[in-house]
Amino acid sequence: MTWVTKSTAAPDSTTILRGLSSRKRVPLGSAVYNRLLETLYDEAAALDERRFDDWIAMLSADLVYQAPIRMTRTGVNRDRDVMRTMFHFDDDYTSILMRTGRLQKSAWAEDPPSRCRRFITNVRVGECETAGDYEVVSYLYLERSRGDNPHNEQLTAERRDVWRDVNGAYVLARREIIVDQSVLGMSNLAVFL
Amino acid sequence: MLQQASLVLRDGTTLDDLIMRDTNEVSLRVMTDEELYSHEMERIFAKTWLLLGHESEIPKSGDFIVRDMAEDNVIIARDRDGNVNVSLNVCPHRGMRVCLGEAGNKPIHQCIYHGWAFKPNGDFIGAPVEREKMHGNNVDKATLGLKKARVHLYGGLIFATWNIEGPSFDEYLGDIKYYMDQLFCRTDNGLELLGPPQRFVLPCNWKVPGEQSGSDGFHTLTLHRSLMEGGVMGGTAESIYDQAPGMYGVDVSCEQGHSLRCLEAEKTFKMFADVPFEGKSVEERLNLLTPPGITKEMIPQLFRNLSADQVEQLATIPPQVGGMFPNILIAFIFAPRTDGGSSGALALHTYVPRGPNQVEFVNFIFAEKDAPEQMKRDMLQNSIQQTGTSGTIEQDDADVWPVIMRNARGGVSKHMTLKYQALHGHERPEGWKGGGLLYPGFTKDDTQWNWWMAYHKLMSEV
Repeated sequence: MTWVTKSTAAPDSTTILRGLSSRKRVPLGSAVYNRLLETLYDEAAALDERRFDDWIAMLSADLVYQAPIRMTRTGVNRDRDVMRTMFHFDDDYTSILMRTGRLQKSAWAEDPPSRCRRFITNVRVGECETAGDYEVVSYLYLERSRGDNPHNEQLTAERRDVWRDVNGAYVLARREIIVDQSVLGMSNLAVFL
Repeated sequence: MLQQASLVLRDGTTLDDLIMRDTNEVSLRVMTDEELYSHEMERIFAKTWLLLGHESEIPKSGDFIVRDMAEDNVIIARDRDGNVNVSLNVCPHRGMRVCLGEAGNKPIHQCIYHGWAFKPNGDFIGAPVEREKMHGNNVDKATLGLKKARVHLYGGLIFATWNIEGPSFDEYLGDIKYYMDQLFCRTDNGLELLGPPQRFVLPCNWKVPGEQSGSDGFHTLTLHRSLMEGGVMGGTAESIYDQAPGMYGVDVSCEQGHSLRCLEAEKTFKMFADVPFEGKSVEERLNLLTPPGITKEMIPQLFRNLSADQVEQLATIPPQVGGMFPNILIAFIFAPRTDGGSSGALALHTYVPRGPNQVEFVNFIFAEKDAPEQMKRDMLQNSIQQTGTSGTIEQDDADVWPVIMRNARGGVSKHMTLKYQALHGHERPEGWKGGGLLYPGFTKDDTQWNWWMAYHKLMSEV
C-alpha cells in the first residue's frame, strides 16, 4: 500500500477505490482477525474516552496518517473520486503528538470536549508482503455531540490501515481515511478518525 | 454629515440602525436577518469581484472546475484559445445544472435533461434533433449561451463578477494592490494550487467569518492561545499578554474594505533569525529570513517582479494575514515545523454564503510553482495542520463562529452589538512607502471597521 503525492490541482491524479490490495486474505473469525478487531475496538474506545496517551501507544513511529479529499466526478471519471493531492489530515507521528499535546492545553475546539461514538464495522483483513504487517480495511461511523446542541454532527468513512505486529501487540503504521463527503458537514476535525 | 442609507427593511429598520457609524457598532441582528441576506445577494455578491480558484487547476484546453459565486453555481473552463471563462451553471432551457461534476475535462458540456450543449466558453452549440428546432423557431442561437460572468486573472487567481460594466479589478483592489502584489505577483512563474480545495460547511452566516477576515488581530492572543503555547508566535504561555507576540506592526487597509497585517519580521519571528536587521541590506534580510514560501534561490525573482520599495517591505515587515472584501481570508504565514524547519504556509479561504444560516469554508492551499518538491510537500502539511478542516489554528475559529450565530437569534441577544471602538486612526509611519489607510503600532479595530464601511457602502447602492 503506497500512495504518491503529486503537486497538482488538476484532477488527473484522482484514483479509484478497489477492495483490498493484499492477495492473502485473513479470514473472519481467525485468531489474527479477532485480535485485530479487538485492537480496532480498543482504539475506538481510547479515542472516544479521550485517553490520548493510550492511543499514542498504539501508533508506530513511522506512522502515515492521511485523509484525502473526495470529489464529485462524472462520465468516464465517475469512479475516480479520491484526490490524493489534497487532504483533510496529512500527518505523521510527530505532528500527531503536536495535535494531542495541544488538546491538553488551550484547544477551545475540544474544550469543552465533544462526546464521540466511533462505530467500526465491515472489517476486512489481508496479509501484507512484510511479515507481521496486516492490511485492515474498516468502515467508520462517527457520531459527535457538541455542547448543548441536540443535533449530532456525523461523518462516515472507510479506513485503509496497516497494523504491525510488534511483540504480540498491534501498532498502527498507516491510515488512510476515505471520507464520503466532498463537502464536510462536520464543522472541524478536532477529533481523530 | 453622514449620508442616509437607502436600504430600509420591511419593519422600518435602516442600514444605519444596524451599522451605527457614529458609535462604531454593528447590531448582531445582521447575522441572521433573512431580508438583509437577500439584499446582500443582489447588492454585494452579484456586484463585486469574487475569488473562484486558480489557473493551475485548469491547465489544459477543456479543463473545468465548478464553484459557487454565493449561491450561484458556475463553470470555470479553459477554452481552445487558452482563455478562462466563467459561466452560470444553469441551462437556459429548463434550469438544470449543465455540469454535475466538480472538475474534469470536456470539450462540450451537455445538459443531461434535454441535451442542450455548450462550449467551454458558454456559447450555445445546439439541441438534439436540430431540424426540429427544440431551441425555438425564431430565436437566435447566439442568445442561448450560458450567462457569462466577467473574468479577471490576478497572479493566476481567478476572479469573476456579474457586474459587467462595474469597477475594474484594479479599482476593486484599490491601494491594497501594492501590498497584495508582494504575495501574489512576486515570482516569475507565480503560485500553484497544491490540490483542489478543502470544503466544509459551518452553521453560521458568512459575515461571522467575513468580518474576522478584515484583519482581526486581537482574537489571536486568546482564541489562538495554543499558537503561543506551542511557541509558534514567540513568547511563552506565561507571557502571552505581556509580550503580545505578533500584535505589533502596521495594519494596512483601504476604503474597498481589504486589509493586511504587516508584521515586523525580526521581532515577531525571533526564533527563525535572532539577528537584528539594523544595518543589514534588503538582500541580507531576505537571506536571514526568507518570506514564507520563498527559497533563497528565488530571491532574485523578487527583485525582478516587485519594485525596490515592495521588496524592502517584504524583507522587513511582510504582509502576513488579512483579507479581501467581501469573503476572502489570506494567510501567508511563517509556520515553524515540529522538526525545526519552516517553509511557511500559504492559504486562501473563501467564505461562500449558503443561505443566511450557513457558510461554506473553502480552503485553497498554495506553494510557489518554482519551489522544490520537498518544500511543496512541507508547505502542504503545514497548511493542512494549521488551517482548514483539521488545522489546529482554525479548528478554534470554527468552534466559535456557530456559537455567535446562535446568540444572534435570541430576541434580546440579536440587539446586542459587535463593537469596533478600539480605533487608532490613519497615521502614516515615517518613511513608509505604500499607500492606503495605515494603522501602525498594536493592531486595532480600524481595518475591520473599514470592512463594515465597505459593506455599508455596497448595501446602500441599488
